[in-house]
Amino acid sequence: MTPSLKKGVAYALACSAIAGIGLAATNPYHLQVMTFIGINSLLALGLNLLMGYAGQISLGHAAFYGIGAYTTAILTATYGLSPWLSLPMAVAAAALVAFLVGMPTLKLSGYYLGMGTLGFGMIAFIVFREWDGVTGGASGFVGIPPLAVGPLNLSSGRNYFYLVWGVLLVAILVCRRIIDSRTGRALRAIHDSENAARAVGVGTMHLKLQVFVFSAAVAALAGFLYAHYVSFISPGTFDFLMSVRMVTMVVIGGMASIWGAILGASLLTLLPEWLHAFSDLEMVVYGLIMMGVMIVMPQGLTRGILDLYERARERHER
Amino acid sequence: MKDKPALLKLASVSKAFGGVQALDDISFEFDAGLIMGLIGPNGAGKTTLFNVITGAYVPDSGAVSLDGIPIQGRRIQDIVHLGISRTFQNVELFESMSVIENIMVGRHVRTRSGFWSAITRVPAIRREEKALRERAQELLDFVGLADQADRRSGDLPFGWQRLLEIARALASDPKLLLLDEPAAGLNAVETGRLGELIGNIRDLGVTVMLVEHDMALTMSVCDQIIVLDQGCMLAEGLPREIQSNAAVMAAYLGNG
Repeated sequence: MTPSLKKGVAYALACSAIAGIGLAATNPYHLQVMTFIGINSLLALGLNLLMGYAGQISLGHAAFYGIGAYTTAILTATYGLSPWLSLPMAVAAAALVAFLVGMPTLKLSGYYLGMGTLGFGMIAFIVFREWDGVTGGASGFVGIPPLAVGPLNLSSGRNYFYLVWGVLLVAILVCRRIIDSRTGRALRAIHDSENAARAVGVGTMHLKLQVFVFSAAVAALAGFLYAHYVSFISPGTFDFLMSVRMVTMVVIGGMASIWGAILGASLLTLLPEWLHAFSDLEMVVYGLIMMGVMIVMPQGLTRGILDLYERARERHER
Repeated sequence: MKDKPALLKLASVSKAFGGVQALDDISFEFDAGLIMGLIGPNGAGKTTLFNVITGAYVPDSGAVSLDGIPIQGRRIQDIVHLGISRTFQNVELFESMSVIENIMVGRHVRTRSGFWSAITRVPAIRREEKALRERAQELLDFVGLADQADRRSGDLPFGWQRLLEIARALASDPKLLLLDEPAAGLNAVETGRLGELIGNIRDLGVTVMLVEHDMALTMSVCDQIIVLDQGCMLAEGLPREIQSNAAVMAAYLGNG
């Protein structure tokens, strides 16, 4: 099988799996959880391009998620704009902010870049919480209209599940293509040795800024999908902890892996749901599981599972 | 009167770091088609000079020109585009990437595809990608790593990593290739092959300038040698002239 045919088959399989799950799932709660997994996967996917491939950390990415959500909320609910018009504006707003923030901060590296983006994330959170007249302040923003395409109402659980996963599939395809291109190779080169990348003529600053803006745009797209799904947003969703959660999804799933982003997002979305039974101990168990995964699989879930598979196959062959 | 400008020309280049004068009024020029040696004791300013030529440092004063085009103060990527590339003293590969991918990144300035064309994959980009891979494979053949293309570059033995770094530097189609101590860490056999490779690179039409501590290699491959000491030009000439130059002897061995 040629590689391109293999890829085509993989996409066909993914599409039919999503369609199958959508049809089989009858419990609205299950559909809701899977929709959130899709939104979180989108967040992790964009951040993974920045962190896993280009090696640049951002501890303020929830800000872009929030900018996407609040921009569309304000434009549609306050100003009555159609969501399909507010979508490009929400994405553009996040991209513009990322451009302005990225210009000075991406000159930093390592811990310092982490600190810089952290500060930005906190500022954004304070703006969401304190700008009462526009964002609704700490009590949140209500009445975000649902999405509809002509007569087709997308607000139902199943339709929204399809929408989110359809968007995610396209995003995966786009990320794959970026990674497997001149730009993607240059990004990985920056990750391995920024000095050498510069010496062979890669415009490292320009490229880092590009990927930062791109990942911010993906986060804003996720924010758009989130806002129109839940119809109510509040600043708490886009706080520092959310930024950390996004980083955790990427690291737990496995850096520089598209499947890793989805695995990490799934685990971090599902764990709190499964752990409700522990009530008071929920966060303790959650933390222990995170620690356990990182100790047993320091390269993340993707690499860890692949290693397990390969070991099992070797044993089988022997 | 020459009607063609020198390939590389430095005119009164100086560079200081704090109170240390790393380069002091350096002037020299040479034509295309040569193998130039740059030698001097440790701390003489050789690597600083390389960094000035490649654009990593901007000289405090003086001018650097390639084929008559002034290059001091330009961005590194523009200088690479104009035709200067380099290797590092401590091999700096993209270790997690495959051997052939390293070379493909080396050709970054000769390829065009950006963010959008990567996503849309228009036919021109597919063609560029195909030609790029073929060119990279040619360069692997040239340095003798043809069958290592898909290996992770960080897993190669050290000597091969050096060869790969040279192939990566050649990928940008340089007019001038700067090699910073290419024989460091190589055994005698590998050093011998490196000497042949440097000759082959010159035969491709690429001018080579190398910093090297291995005097046997330097004296045998270089057409011309420049000697630096404590940031100053000490001597310039043919290898045998340098070997018999009293000032050079003194700089290396001390004034006994």
